[in-house]
Amino acid sequence: MVQKIKIDPVTRIEGHLAIEVEVDGGKVTNAWSKGTMFRGFEELLKGRDPRDASYVTDRVCGVCSGSHQWASALCLDDAFDADVPDGGRLVRNLILGAQWLHDHPLHFYHLSALDYIDVMAVAKYKGNDAGLNAVKDKILKLVKAQDTAPLTPRYEPDEFSVDDPELVTMAVAHYLKALEMQAKAKKMGALLGGKMPHSASIVVGGVTMYPEMQYLDQYRSLLTEQTAFIENVYVPDVVTFGTGPLFPLAKAGIGAAAGHYLSFGGFQNSGDKKDLLYPAGVVIDSDLKNIKAVDTDLIKEYVKHAWYDDNKGLHPSQGETAVNPDKKDAYSFIKSPRYEGRAMEVGPLARMLVAQPDAFMKLVVDYGVKPGAVARHAARAVETLALTQQILKWLDELTVLVASGKCEIHATATWEGPESGTGVGLTEAPRGALGHWIKIKDKKIENYQLVVPSTWNLSPRDDSGVLGPVEQALIGAPVPDVENPINLVRIVRSFDPCISCAVHVIEPNSNRILKFKIG
Amino acid sequence: MDILKELVAKEINRRDFTKLCAAVAAVFGMPKAFSKDIAFAAENAMKKPAVIWLEGQDCAGCSESLLASINPSVAEIVLDTLSIRYHETIMAGSGYVAEKAREDTIKEGGYVLVVEGSIPTADDRFCMIAEKPFREILLETAKNAAVIIAVGSCATFSGGIPGATPSKGRGVTHFIKDKPVINLPSCPLKPSRLVATVMYFLASGKAPEMDKYGRPLAFYSTLLHENCPRRGHFERGEFVTDWNDSGQREYCLLLKGCKGPKTYTDCAQVWWNDGANFCINAGAPCSGCSQPEFYNVFSPLYEKQQTFNIGPNTTVNLDTVGRTMMGVAGAGVIVHGLGRLASKSNDEEE
Repeated sequence: MVQKIKIDPVTRIEGHLAIEVEVDGGKVTNAWSKGTMFRGFEELLKGRDPRDASYVTDRVCGVCSGSHQWASALCLDDAFDADVPDGGRLVRNLILGAQWLHDHPLHFYHLSALDYIDVMAVAKYKGNDAGLNAVKDKILKLVKAQDTAPLTPRYEPDEFSVDDPELVTMAVAHYLKALEMQAKAKKMGALLGGKMPHSASIVVGGVTMYPEMQYLDQYRSLLTEQTAFIENVYVPDVVTFGTGPLFPLAKAGIGAAAGHYLSFGGFQNSGDKKDLLYPAGVVIDSDLKNIKAVDTDLIKEYVKHAWYDDNKGLHPSQGETAVNPDKKDAYSFIKSPRYEGRAMEVGPLARMLVAQPDAFMKLVVDYGVKPGAVARHAARAVETLALTQQILKWLDELTVLVASGKCEIHATATWEGPESGTGVGLTEAPRGALGHWIKIKDKKIENYQLVVPSTWNLSPRDDSGVLGPVEQALIGAPVPDVENPINLVRIVRSFDPCISCAVHVIEPNSNRILKFKIG
Repeated sequence: MDILKELVAKEINRRDFTKLCAAVAAVFGMPKAFSKDIAFAAENAMKKPAVIWLEGQDCAGCSESLLASINPSVAEIVLDTLSIRYHETIMAGSGYVAEKAREDTIKEGGYVLVVEGSIPTADDRFCMIAEKPFREILLETAKNAAVIIAVGSCATFSGGIPGATPSKGRGVTHFIKDKPVINLPSCPLKPSRLVATVMYFLASGKAPEMDKYGRPLAFYSTLLHENCPRRGHFERGEFVTDWNDSGQREYCLLLKGCKGPKTYTDCAQVWWNDGANFCINAGAPCSGCSQPEFYNVFSPLYEKQQTFNIGPNTTVNLDTVGRTMMGVAGAGVIVHGLGRLASKSNDEEE
């Protein structure tokens, strides 16, 4: 018998998302979902001073805050022909680097972990560790007061939920520690950004904050603390869970999408725009031996199932955002971007499969972790570790530059901007490939389009019926108890959705487990 | 069993807690003894105050900003001080589990309602949660709230940035007319303001003293310009034109679009992220995000502002005001007055 489940709202994500699925024989066979919020930033920007774009678009998202400001600034740099000096580039890297250090652990501990652990198992902790007993006391007090919000109410733990008292108590202790660490990571970003979220410092041409040594010293001391946390707590936790209690989920590749991955690449290591910490690249059909170069001309956005006036599929530089909530057959405010007609997964897993660092490939090869929900968490942890090491290099480089007295932070000559022109800014946000496109006429914005990571991941079907990555990932998900669809939120959250998002009708013909082509 | 009592019971936390209460009293300009009242009220509260946190057309930036709090720590706020029954970004439950938590809390009544994000007026369908227009959710949740606090630039006044989009987002006061609403505008919310406002409400049972825009005077009574660390340079007519120039590093940001002379906020005194920084110290012009004029009236944000209109008949050129025309005192008075006028004209617009 086909049963329908509706989850509205999906919480612990950014934005307003509703999911509907059909379940038959304990597995998802059809899925619907609705991106239920529209603001219309792209329309707002038309006719404005182009320099407003980096400020305004940053407000698209307060979770990956700084990412849009960065992408927009890169886009404006291109349109203004601004040559960002090294100091400006490094300060941007340090602001965004701190943002990622906040974002990835927060996603793991505060947005996702509650799906994988039975918090109440803390009560059964019998060990002698003083710290863990303090955590136990803290939770028991909440229970005694009959007030455990926001840890409850919740979906009930299932067979994949971790209920070992020691492991759970440790995880809750780390949940609390991570709360403190993400706040401190924001402080790091604010030291050079002015405040966080919604930093003020990144503008076209570079940054406004001159990195005085006292600020770099504070940044360095906070970085040391973050690095220790990531090395000793976050990464070990992800590995412990992923190769331990969650290994059945990992091995089964629960929550895999279609095997197409896209990374625009991000974090310039030098003045060379191709010298990137995370490289750009495309993987098609899980073929990891054949990483293709990104060709942005192959991107088109479709709107057949989105609440916008119909068009034939447009390149973002020509994109339109004419909202039309009366449109038939539409069910989402999310467009459907496609790369050569393919629905690309973007994000940490895509970046790690394009870059293929040993640390990540070892997990994939040695442990047999298949692409899916758990692999996304693992990719996120591995790339955070790599980032901490690189941030230290950028910080050292900037410190030397400042000490030399020759640190420039802004391309001042181009500040007033061109009469007309076009620009594109491509980078990586924590959630994946992010692109901004601008067209300037008479010193005003004529058109502005964003293609954000969650648009890729959470897009509805396109004009030819190709499903979005999350739609595909939900197909085949085990739902033994329709009253408790915890696997669905695990899968959706593993993509770390960052905008209102949508999933709709799916034909259940791809119930398969993906295998990587290695060797 | 109250976690605040537990907090108080421990020596080390007792100190932190007393400090927090003293800080709350100080920020609202209450006598020192009042901090004891706050501590007393908090200690005697039978349970933590229930909070429903609604997100409309938002970016979760205000939620993230609350999570950026270091003193007091996030855990103290989220687990020990408040009982957060509904908050889409942090709560465990989803779907009907989440919505039921909201409905149960509404039935209980007497909760703190925090609203983040604007409410679309162009079409209800631009923000739907659990198949309901967000506007309806706001109205039904507001009914039994003990206090309503609108946080951030989107939930206040004419909706900040979403207010300038085709969705025509508007702030809470556009919909709630029969109850007082405390407005805490800025982009994002400054977390210390929310914590202090909630603590004050718990202790006194009433809203703090507010200006005509519903902003607590404790945070919004002075023009940023008056306390700006770069004020001296403004008066000498020294403005930043090139961010690379070390000689200009502390200069006034007016020519980069700074809205400090029009903006009421405590940003110059109370910096962000545990006192790490604030926009002007970071060399960035104030965008005026705590004002009703944000964003539409204040855009463009970075344009050179050389001429200011003061009243219907007077135009002042700021390039010359500091150096020759008005003299030091004159410039201050005029720009001060300008801020008041700018606020007034918007009031009439409302």
